[in-house]
Amino acid sequence: MTNNANVSNISCEEAIDLIAMQLDKFAGDVERLALERHLKTCRHCFDRLEFEKLLKNRLTGMKIDISSEQLEGKIKALLNGFQ
Amino acid sequence: MPLVNNLHRVAFELCRSSSDAEDLVAETVVRACQSYATLRDATKAKQWLLRILTNTFISTRRLKKIRQEVPYDEGDGSFSLFEELAPPSSQWGNPEREVINKFLNEDIDQALHALPEEFRVAVVLCDVEGYTYDEIAQTLDIPVGTVRSRLSRGRSILQKQLYHHAVERGWTTPTKLPKRKSNDKQCECE
Repeated sequence: MTNNANVSNISCEEAIDLIAMQLDKFAGDVERLALERHLKTCRHCFDRLEFEKLLKNRLTGMKIDISSEQLEGKIKALLNGFQ
Repeated sequence: MPLVNNLHRVAFELCRSSSDAEDLVAETVVRACQSYATLRDATKAKQWLLRILTNTFISTRRLKKIRQEVPYDEGDGSFSLFEELAPPSSQWGNPEREVINKFLNEDIDQALHALPEEFRVAVVLCDVEGYTYDEIAQTLDIPVGTVRSRLSRGRSILQKQLYHHAVERGWTTPTKLPKRKSNDKQCECE
């Protein structure tokens, strides 16, 4: 665990990088805490995080369930041809 | 056939056409069968197939020269839709969030489809499919730094496309009013 006192202050520019890392689940504890600390006092970056989160959710919503019996038949035929 | 369904879904997200997606999956299976000997670890079959699929997608598009022209310059990956839409610091409200909710799926689809192939692959795998940087790096066989850079540039182009949609529909005006920039230190964080 990281002691909060050891978390460095970061600039808005650094916070923007960390926002992407956080949303992409790439940020570690140190980065996450530094970002949390920054967001407590920076409304602009807080709004940006919320905005990027919304946009990412819209993109995730583009994921579709798809299945095609026709394609499965085609693949089985292709695989049989290789056996 | 869960692997095929997974490939089919990613193929559709990349091609946005049922017939192109089915052709891409079929071509992927053919190439996989031909290079089956290169699969060293069977537990990584999904990643291996996905790599073949994305490489096939990129090479086929290049071969057919059907890369969609990006109507706006690719830029350096620093365009931010938020910075264009967010009100000046003196104003309240979050109009930028309202704009995001106004976009139709077709608008987002169109913006995704206009991305150059490498960037589209990265954005689809990360933002649509939910893969981590490491998973994308392993799948595409590229360093994590390259994944991050492609994502950054891809998202920048995507956001620029969405911004132009918003301007065309009158949801925002392309004003150059002084905006609060992320690095002009107007926030209370210093």
